[in-house]
Amino acid sequence: MTVAWENASLLARSLQSGPLTLHAVPPAPCTQACPAGINVKAYVSLIAEGRFSEALEVVRERCPLPGICGRICHHPCETACLRGDLDEPIAIRALKRFIADVELDIADPPAAILPERPESVAVVGAGPAGITAAYDLARAGYPVTVFESEPEPGGMLRYGIADYRLPTDVLDHEIEVIRRAGVQFRTDCRIGREMTLTELLEGGYSAVLLTVGAQFGRGLRLTDEECPEIQDALSFLRRVNRGEREPLGGRVVVIGGGSTAVEAARTALRLFARSVEIVYRRHWKEMPASAEEVEMARQEGVNVRYLRSPVRAEIENGRLRGLTCLDVALGEPDASGRRRPIPIPGTESLIEADLVLLAVGQEADLSFLPDDTRERLERRDRLSAEPATLMTKLHGVFAAGDVVTGPATVIDAIAAGHRAAQSIVRFLTTGDSDPDQQARAPEPPTEYGLPDTPAEHAERMAPPIERPVAGREFTETELAFSPELALTEAQRCLRCGPCSECRICASSCGRRHIWLRLPGEGTDEPVLQLIRAPSSTALALESEVAAGHLLDGEGFRSIELIPARVRMVEELCRGCARCVEVCGFDAILFVHPGDPESKVQVDPALCRGCNLCLAACPTDAVLPDLPTTSPAELLPRGDREAATPKEGPTVLVACRQRAAELGPRLEQLGGEAVPLWLRCAGEVDAGTLLDLYERGAQRIVLAGCATDHCRYGRGTRLAAVQAARAQTILRLLGADHERIVTDWPPTEEQPVTLAAGTGGAA
Amino acid sequence: MTLAELRRTSAANLCVECGKCSTLCPLAAVADYSASRVAAIRDPEAELLRQAGAVQRCLTCALCEIRCPQGVRFSDFVRGLRPDIPAELRHPCPHGEALQAAARLMARGDEIDRDLSWLDDGLRVADEGELALFVGCLPLFDVIFEEELGLRSLDIARAAIRLLNRLDIEPVLVHDERCCGHDLLWSGDREGFEALAAANAQAFQTKGVQRILTTCAECCRTWRLDYPGVTDGYRPQVQHLAEFVAEKLDAGELEATGESDGTVTYHDPCRLGRQLEIFEAPRRLLRETADERFVEMEHSGADALCCGSPGFVRCDAASRALQVERLGGAAAAGADRMLTACPKCLIHFTCTQSEDRRLGRQMPPVEVEDLTVFAADRLTPRIQGEAQ
Repeated sequence: MTVAWENASLLARSLQSGPLTLHAVPPAPCTQACPAGINVKAYVSLIAEGRFSEALEVVRERCPLPGICGRICHHPCETACLRGDLDEPIAIRALKRFIADVELDIADPPAAILPERPESVAVVGAGPAGITAAYDLARAGYPVTVFESEPEPGGMLRYGIADYRLPTDVLDHEIEVIRRAGVQFRTDCRIGREMTLTELLEGGYSAVLLTVGAQFGRGLRLTDEECPEIQDALSFLRRVNRGEREPLGGRVVVIGGGSTAVEAARTALRLFARSVEIVYRRHWKEMPASAEEVEMARQEGVNVRYLRSPVRAEIENGRLRGLTCLDVALGEPDASGRRRPIPIPGTESLIEADLVLLAVGQEADLSFLPDDTRERLERRDRLSAEPATLMTKLHGVFAAGDVVTGPATVIDAIAAGHRAAQSIVRFLTTGDSDPDQQARAPEPPTEYGLPDTPAEHAERMAPPIERPVAGREFTETELAFSPELALTEAQRCLRCGPCSECRICASSCGRRHIWLRLPGEGTDEPVLQLIRAPSSTALALESEVAAGHLLDGEGFRSIELIPARVRMVEELCRGCARCVEVCGFDAILFVHPGDPESKVQVDPALCRGCNLCLAACPTDAVLPDLPTTSPAELLPRGDREAATPKEGPTVLVACRQRAAELGPRLEQLGGEAVPLWLRCAGEVDAGTLLDLYERGAQRIVLAGCATDHCRYGRGTRLAAVQAARAQTILRLLGADHERIVTDWPPTEEQPVTLAAGTGGAA
Repeated sequence: MTLAELRRTSAANLCVECGKCSTLCPLAAVADYSASRVAAIRDPEAELLRQAGAVQRCLTCALCEIRCPQGVRFSDFVRGLRPDIPAELRHPCPHGEALQAAARLMARGDEIDRDLSWLDDGLRVADEGELALFVGCLPLFDVIFEEELGLRSLDIARAAIRLLNRLDIEPVLVHDERCCGHDLLWSGDREGFEALAAANAQAFQTKGVQRILTTCAECCRTWRLDYPGVTDGYRPQVQHLAEFVAEKLDAGELEATGESDGTVTYHDPCRLGRQLEIFEAPRRLLRETADERFVEMEHSGADALCCGSPGFVRCDAASRALQVERLGGAAAAGADRMLTACPKCLIHFTCTQSEDRRLGRQMPPVEVEDLTVFAADRLTPRIQGEAQ
């Protein structure tokens, strides 16, 4: 969540009225689309800046498996990408893979985290959901042990996806990062065989998370005979991925339309099958496998037959000859929203096959549960868990991932892992598992439009593809972006929304323009919020929080402040390029590059508002793009001819620093009161006060900080001198000098006195 | 006024591109400033001038005009372009813009009732009559510069009234007198200027004033050269006090008293000198009072250098350099004291002296003083023969 403050007075008011009620600017479409909640825009922006390891950190906040997601995620982010409306979406998945590979190359994973919480957690099943949850829990300080029945962790990532898509070393690296975060793995340990669930619960684990997945291939009754040539695709993949790569030779038919079917088909092809066909009973549009995967398979030589439904296997002399299929028509949509396939009688045809691989669905294997427990927890071959908390009917036992939802994607599993970890943390810290309090309606995705200044067409970069070659069949097919390609591609990003959320500003701004509180403490959900505010407001907010006045309790949401961006006054610019040099974001460019007299301009999309350029500019050509600070903007001049000037509002001229405490003053001064914020009241000059008077201000209240609290030292005294001058000039002209009043807070030092009469505070 | 009209009225369309103006420009001598006046004719939109900052940076001292073979009034031309300058490019006055804001306030049309409590005991003024003293912004100057520079500008008005009282004249002080509008006009606010001019004309006419004395070169110029055309129907005689005094000296009604102390020189304010061509009257006064101890600087009369900041339009390092140079010129001429007939010149020179003293820099050993104050201390009516 990003929150943009357009108006500092609004801030002042809300600071007084309890928890902040903020106008939220929703995250970019890509970020909204990511089930795991990865801040996609942020890491793409960082890649565009060449800050690859920081980009990977952003990914890791919400995804412990960047290299894997970068290879096999079905990337809802790209589907949501607004650039797709313009030309083609950003190649986000490939970019993520690129940054993950960079780390793989330099082999510098994040440092280990030591557990600090007493309660330990057991996770059953080392698939993506389990290891994500374990990673989150370890980062939250809990000792976590993951139990895995296979010899290596990874679950379907290791045994369901072949090396040509996901090399083992990538998985090993990511598991290593998770290990270093403090997660223990106990492999070759099947719950229900080596240990029971009861033993786990009694063995000192305060919570147990079941993420056993759905790795049991569903059958399809094609023959009554025993037929070893009809196999479950998952078992086939598992065997191959364990290293049993015996050549196939014959004709292979895969039944199904999901990722497993495509995976099995492409794997069969690599095992020298003479031909490989996928038979799917619906149309390509309904295929659960991603279009990309299917296209890759087709390019490699897999033939896909749609709208065919196998009815029986033809077996001759105990050997499989082929499949008899019926043509299919599509009827009304079924429960899954896809159109129901209706076989058309009398359209039998034979598809020859020497091996049939069934990929028609996956189920959870719940045999590890004790019978009485299984009765309580199982619902239609899956585990039943409270949707809000993911807790099962057994106190302290949670379940997440495919075992609850049925087979889904990697990124869905990661999302489920996050939710489970969050829920477990809440359970362990508060003992709270009342779903009512935790149920949270998902926020509806918000529509974004294309930016006002549409980007030029830029071709989407595609990562290089390598065809399988003899002897290297299982070498990775898709290669990584080169750094140049990655930069080019990431720079296509339109950065929807007000800020790229990369948070470079927070780490790089040494001048306290930025205040950042990381999510996790007291928040139900690590929501990131941004407030755009000038530095002094940021400071005010910070002190409010330090004093505990703000953002505690229920209204707490973490907050990040970004300062105002800058604008360039072209007439004052001398093109000296000092700002260009100091800008860390390449946001300042010459209007006419190459022309020695060219002036510069600020690209608002790139400016992060660090205001370094402001300090560097020798001609004051750079201005912060702040809310109104000039009398002219505040009170536009009316008609000079008018005999009596229109009675204007009360103007509160004050330090931004005091914005927070002046909220109620504004209320007291009446609804008409308008604030004119200055960095320091000492900035005010008699001319400004007279100008406000001349522009019709009914009353001008000058409100600085107490003399002994001025950040600039003498601000209040300087302001007092100017106020006195303005009052004297008004008095000399016979005008109403009492319209200018000062309102200083009490001070420990001697009070500021004015030469001319000081009006009392209203 | 269109650009073409402006060219015609300021004679910029007659420029023959000889370039004498640019070599004379005092600002160009001390700052990176090259107002290509030539551009004024060649560039249809005067864009080059605007871009070079020439429009807002020009001193409008009119020194360039004295050698112009074609009579181009570059200062008028620049003034005509100033309304187009964006507000953020107008360099704010370092004294808080208060004077400009006060002028705008007076232009707004509110009732003005001047506080005259500064009149010392014994000073006699009238409410109505034929001869008036235009006090101008002197009381406002004191709000700022008495504190910042220790300069009491109102002493100029007090001196003028004292001198007039000695001649048995009780000048009219108009209660609803406003700023003359010089600074608004020269910073581009013609509308504000016209409002001030009209209000002043009406106020003075109502009091039956036929003759107006000023102690300020800029007020004098504005009443004499800029009010006609705006304030039709009211044409009082406007004089700088120095002119009035010179007349009285010529008529034998005043004479100098006492010994003159030290050598003096005279700084011609550009508004009084080059723009109104009043060179002789102040010198007549000085020759009378200082006698042989009056010396001329190298640049004097029509060739006089500018004080660096006419009309409070701008003030920067270049202004400082010009002021230091001028003070150096006075010292080089052997003067202990430099007199001027413009309170603003006095403020600017005093400001530079005080600032540079604060910074520990050696300033030319010259005191700056107002001509009216100097004269009032040294002149007395001949008939009474009364000594100070």
